[in-house]
Amino acid sequence: MNALADWIRNWGHWIVFLLLEVTSLVLLFRFNNYQGSVWFTQANMVSGTVLDWQSRLVAYTRLGEVNRQLTETNLVLQSEVDILRHRLAEYEHDSTLTERTLAAQLAGVRRIPARVIDNSIHDRDNYITIDRGSADGIHNEMGVVCGTGIVGIVYQTGRHYAIVLPVLNSRSSISCRLKNTEYFGYMKWGGGNPLRAFIDDIPHHAKIRKGEWVETSGFSSVFPPGIFVGKVKRVLNSDDGLSYQLEIGLSTDFARLRDVAVIDWQSAIPVHAAQSADSVSSTPSAP
Amino acid sequence: MIVVYLKRLLLMLGLVALQVLVCNHIHLMGYATPMPYVVFLATFALNESRIGNMLWAFVLGLLVDMFSNTPGEAAAAMTLAAFVQWPLFHAMAPKECVEDLVPTYQSMGRWRHVRYISVLVFVHHATFYLLESFSFFHIEETLIAFASSLALSLFLILTLDSMRHGK
Repeated sequence: MNALADWIRNWGHWIVFLLLEVTSLVLLFRFNNYQGSVWFTQANMVSGTVLDWQSRLVAYTRLGEVNRQLTETNLVLQSEVDILRHRLAEYEHDSTLTERTLAAQLAGVRRIPARVIDNSIHDRDNYITIDRGSADGIHNEMGVVCGTGIVGIVYQTGRHYAIVLPVLNSRSSISCRLKNTEYFGYMKWGGGNPLRAFIDDIPHHAKIRKGEWVETSGFSSVFPPGIFVGKVKRVLNSDDGLSYQLEIGLSTDFARLRDVAVIDWQSAIPVHAAQSADSVSSTPSAP
Repeated sequence: MIVVYLKRLLLMLGLVALQVLVCNHIHLMGYATPMPYVVFLATFALNESRIGNMLWAFVLGLLVDMFSNTPGEAAAAMTLAAFVQWPLFHAMAPKECVEDLVPTYQSMGRWRHVRYISVLVFVHHATFYLLESFSFFHIEETLIAFASSLALSLFLILTLDSMRHGK
């Protein structure tokens, strides 16, 4: 008995050390393997609530500045509204095109509005925390968009909060296509500039114009086809020289992200497929 | 004894809040994020239990992880640093000293205290960034982030410590 007590006295700290390290490593690798370690991330109730308070506090301290900007904007808008009313027909396909096209693409798809309560853009792997969770119908692998285009994919879901893996994360890989030619590839973020990403494997015979729109391809159950991603900024050669690499100017400004919508494309796929089948079957058959 | 534990608990929560609400938002030159919570290890007295120190450090690391989306990284790094802290402090403490010596500029001497804190911060940061690089394999960026964060954390900790001790 004394020998056992001596042994524990001499080696107890090693046992505790190993136990704590193993626990830490289990947490680390569970998180990296997309498993549900919700309790140890920002998606849990306590940290979610604290971050929510912080977000509200920061927003509150900026209210004075926001108010001043709003008043200025209001004055400008008031003076312009009459002119614009008469010229609406000419302008309506200009400034609001992105949002209207996005709304059309998402017609019939369930959208859950959410607010960003924590966001980073300077890390190599950024995450976004939103104030909606499984209680609001959110689950992992749902797409997240904002008024200007795609944001990312839901990665961890707590009851009232969820973590989104945005485009600005090295693990993000989103299937995209060129709007006009429909050549597709996977978009990845190379780190650094939060307004720039890259699409690889575009064949050399593809004719690509600078400024061409890039949108989601719809080759996944996360995003429907046609959601804005950005515009082609530069056409580069891939490292192996066998294909093009496109530098994309992202349409979403992640530094100013606040209101987003989580889309349930997965449950809308059967409806859309049925509608497509209907439109095919209603097409007059050739004699 | 309860008062000591309560004070330590408050210090722990204060350091977590400082890390989460302030330091996690600092990315100097895009790389350097200070992690001053390691200073928690430098408050343990000479005669404290090694197992107890590791448990305190583990809990602090876990709290930081919960708020930073780095599950296990800070917890593992703090546990290892606490494991090293005990023999390190016993080796670096002055030969003729009280049993419950608390490491400060006055009790250890200025440079010995700076060396003691530097080793703890180095062990913590090296472990933290090594674990982070496991999943990313960007070794150059990891080294830059490690070196710059180490420098910034040390600067912050030593500055705060100098102010606390009025030197």
